[in-house]
Amino acid sequence: MQNRTFVESFVKKRLGLFGLLGVLVIVSLGLLAPLISAYPKGYGTEILLPPSEKFWFGTDGLGLDLFAQVVWGARTSLYVSFVAVMVAAVIGIPAGLISGYKKGLLGSLIDGIIDIFLTLPVLPLMIVIAAVVGSSITNVAVVIGLLAWPSLARVTRNSTLKVSELQFIEAARCVGISPRMILFKHILLNIAGPVLVNLTLVMATAVLSESGLSFLGLGDPTTWSWGTILKKAWDAGAVIDTPNPWWWWFFTSSFIMIYVICFNLLGSGINDALNPKTRD
Amino acid sequence: MANYLIRRILKALLTIFVSATIVFFIIRLMPADPVTLLVDPKMGPEVQQAMMQQFGLDKSIGLQYVIFIQQTLSGNLGISFKTREPVTTVIMQKLPWTLLLLFIVVTLTLVIGIPIGMLAAKKRDGLFDKFINVLIVMGISIFIPFLSFAFLYFFAYYLKLLPTGGAYTPPPAKGFDYILDVARHAILPSLTLFIGNVATIILYTRNSMIDVLKEDYIRTAFSKGWNEKYVVRRHALKNALIPTITVAGIMIGSMVGGAVMTETVYGWPGVGRLIYDSVSSMDFPVLQGAFITLAVSVVVMNIIADLVVAWLDPRIKLGG
Repeated sequence: MQNRTFVESFVKKRLGLFGLLGVLVIVSLGLLAPLISAYPKGYGTEILLPPSEKFWFGTDGLGLDLFAQVVWGARTSLYVSFVAVMVAAVIGIPAGLISGYKKGLLGSLIDGIIDIFLTLPVLPLMIVIAAVVGSSITNVAVVIGLLAWPSLARVTRNSTLKVSELQFIEAARCVGISPRMILFKHILLNIAGPVLVNLTLVMATAVLSESGLSFLGLGDPTTWSWGTILKKAWDAGAVIDTPNPWWWWFFTSSFIMIYVICFNLLGSGINDALNPKTRD
Repeated sequence: MANYLIRRILKALLTIFVSATIVFFIIRLMPADPVTLLVDPKMGPEVQQAMMQQFGLDKSIGLQYVIFIQQTLSGNLGISFKTREPVTTVIMQKLPWTLLLLFIVVTLTLVIGIPIGMLAAKKRDGLFDKFINVLIVMGISIFIPFLSFAFLYFFAYYLKLLPTGGAYTPPPAKGFDYILDVARHAILPSLTLFIGNVATIILYTRNSMIDVLKEDYIRTAFSKGWNEKYVVRRHALKNALIPTITVAGIMIGSMVGGAVMTETVYGWPGVGRLIYDSVSSMDFPVLQGAFITLAVSVVVMNIIADLVVAWLDPRIKLGG
């Protein structure tokens, strides 16, 4: 029954639905990239052409189709966000569960670590690590995940604190169910909502981080990512040069924004639909 | 209050220590050996040995770490691989520019963000509030280079109103002209970071104001016959600001991250741009020093935010 009211109220809030549709479009772009356009490589003769019927987003300084780059960039962005979310979830969820459930030293220790990591300037730290571990797209994704877990752990911890006070958890403890079972089944299922919302937010920020790192030249120069396209456009002076190939950076940047906005909308849609206060 | 202060300062010191340690070991564990970066193969073995000694690379990692912590505590961040200058000298040239930028942006976000958030809370669910909500979603989704590109394209390329980069027109002018020139250069970077951060402040002010206005003591204040303006100013504002100030403190961390990209795009000669430059030139001592400097600035600004919160919140001021 609860499921139906969740779906109903999610559909009723149009913004969340809009976000979901956007996410689906981007996911299919990324998955179907090989079918949509050929992998852009080498160079062409049609340099810096404005958007036209043949090249929807125009061409870059090497004469490569920018639409194809954006589509293949979507694939990279999805891969990076997915890996980053996985890494963040594998560390952040157990850390949050344990620190919220176990009161003693272990709990406060994990909480202290979360606190410290939340204070650190994350992007500069990512830059330092990415500069050291080298620029493979998987490395970048893992680094982003390794620094994205504290916020997820904080959300998991706060929800765990609330749920573990409830009577059914006490009952489970009395019946003699193992702490591991209580944590990963009874508590985790009950805090799935806020955790899921935070995961969509991690998806969104992961793309911002990856694009930022690639833009600063710390991405993988051999794969197309949205940040790499922007770096090439920037290095070629596409923003302030005359004549100005604005299409080189405009469409790619718009896709980054659309991706992030859609995931944020999806997250707040789920959040609103789960929250009984805002459900109607 | 005293206990609270001591706990905060201990936490701050621990945070700085952890960031320094993380960055030290990350850089030492990298696959590319700093020696190969530093030492030219054409140099003789004695020269190589002398250089290793100069940078302390001939000692074991544990010993290097102890020396590093000792030196950092005494304000010595090592010597740049590239320019052979002390890292502290390099950073001290850049830090004022970053602090100037952050100061402008923090002031702007608070002075503009808090009133907008309050207004949105007052007109809750009205047209203005809906409009602000859309802006908030856009704001928290902003990609700093995109915004910078758009600004540069419009204001510098299309309208030719503002400079395309740097912090002043070389050679630097004298006196008031110099200040005016720097101000002109600061407009776009500040505006970029401002838009990237003001949404969070508006969001938190709005939500906490809505929560506070539901409290019993606000209803009591209204029932005493005071008008809305007075109740909001005298009773609600102080409490509603607590989450806003806390988040402003936390935001500094992400703002510093945004500053790296902003400073890179606009060629603003701050610590963020220094990080970008030292990554390209693999100048690890500078990278390490710049990161520690940023971490210290973030922690200091966090403490300031916590002090303001303690001043606003009697539970902290009176309690432990």
